[in-house]
Amino acid sequence: MIKTIDLHKSYDKLEVLKGIDLDIHPGEVVVLVGVSGSGKSTLLRCLNFLEVAETGTITIDGRPIDRKKDDLSKVRAEVGMVFQHFNLFPHKSVLENIMEAPLIVKNENKAKAKQLALDLLEKVGLSDKADVYPSKLSGGQKQRVAIARALAMEPKALLFDEPTSALDPELVGEVLQVMKELADEGMTMVVVTHEMKFAKEVADRIIMLDEGRIIEDADPDTFFNHSTNERTKQFLEMVNV
Amino acid sequence: MPEIFIRLYDVFMSTYEGFLKAVLITLEITAIAVVLGTVFGIIFALMKISRSKILQTIANLYITIIRGTPLIVQIMFLYFGITSIVVLSNFWAGAIALGIHNGAYIAEIFRGAIQGIDRGQREASLALGMNRTQTMRRIVFPQALRRAIPPLGNQFIITLKDSSLVYLIGVSELFGRANRAAASNFMQFETFLVVGMYYLVLVLIFTWLLKLYENKLNVDGS
Repeated sequence: MIKTIDLHKSYDKLEVLKGIDLDIHPGEVVVLVGVSGSGKSTLLRCLNFLEVAETGTITIDGRPIDRKKDDLSKVRAEVGMVFQHFNLFPHKSVLENIMEAPLIVKNENKAKAKQLALDLLEKVGLSDKADVYPSKLSGGQKQRVAIARALAMEPKALLFDEPTSALDPELVGEVLQVMKELADEGMTMVVVTHEMKFAKEVADRIIMLDEGRIIEDADPDTFFNHSTNERTKQFLEMVNV
Repeated sequence: MPEIFIRLYDVFMSTYEGFLKAVLITLEITAIAVVLGTVFGIIFALMKISRSKILQTIANLYITIIRGTPLIVQIMFLYFGITSIVVLSNFWAGAIALGIHNGAYIAEIFRGAIQGIDRGQREASLALGMNRTQTMRRIVFPQALRRAIPPLGNQFIITLKDSSLVYLIGVSELFGRANRAAASNFMQFETFLVVGMYYLVLVLIFTWLLKLYENKLNVDGS
């Protein structure tokens, strides 16, 4: 589904990604973990070209993407993203936030876009908030709208960049619940998170990044209980699992 | 009643017919300058933040020259410069000069407002598959416009007052009219005090309208 070969990314002289080979299969839930600065968010942002890796190849659905020749908007339309700070459009209502991309990018007709948006709002449990502006929502509600907004483009995969890190602890659960449901429905997901419980329960694979390299790629049981990697063990001790 | 009030009253009563007509001209010039300035301002702001070095340079040049020279020089330059090539009334020469002048300041207002919009807004829009133009038009610019309204209002008030300078190229707007009235009634102090009141009232009305509009925006959306 999404595949990277030898991805390198630097900011000025600091090399953040040092050759990432990654293969994400359809329907898979992959959780990226690592200490801050390990490059996990950068990797995620490279996958939909919000950051551009200098060298290496990214293949989506078997098609290598040429970042100079290909229309990156089209690629991004197929791979949705959910951000740490939600990034809802404050000048648009909840419904308009969700309808925006289908209307503008896909030229969907209004009635159809609206119906889809209402269905998605129901899915994330916010049917009563359709006409509300984002400033009136709690963090957890904002993030659920953001997920609905990303789903409205019917993406082939969804990227989550620390989706619960900006939330008050009591609001984390409602967002994770929606993500869990998506995973159960077979959505391909790549998730950067510090929620180890979520990783344990929902992930198919856990990938540990350290200083720009993948140092472990394992199923949750192996990762949490049988890892032989010293850095992984240190990390797990740090996050108290 | 002190004599000064009587003289002020006399001046007011003897000038108001002409002054009210002149107010219309002042408002017309201001409106044209504001519309032109906003159009120029948006265009040059977008040029300045574009990826093209050439567009950036043109925008920088325009802004530097306009901000670096006095408005009165620009009015004179444009009036004598343009009217030597095309036939242009002094009214239009003045309005266009004011518009070009304003454009530079308004460009900076818009540039600041656009760049002040959180990077996450752009990223969210791009991540949804919108291209750069759609992102600017649908997501970034509408938010920037809201943010720009208070400084724009300020700039419009400055324009209203600056429009008095076009009296120097013979436009019979409010200040020009007052200047002539003062020359004929020999009550300079009273006449300029009265005309000052006219400007003050206009500015207060405008400030009030702007406040109403800002409140409406705040009610409509976040």
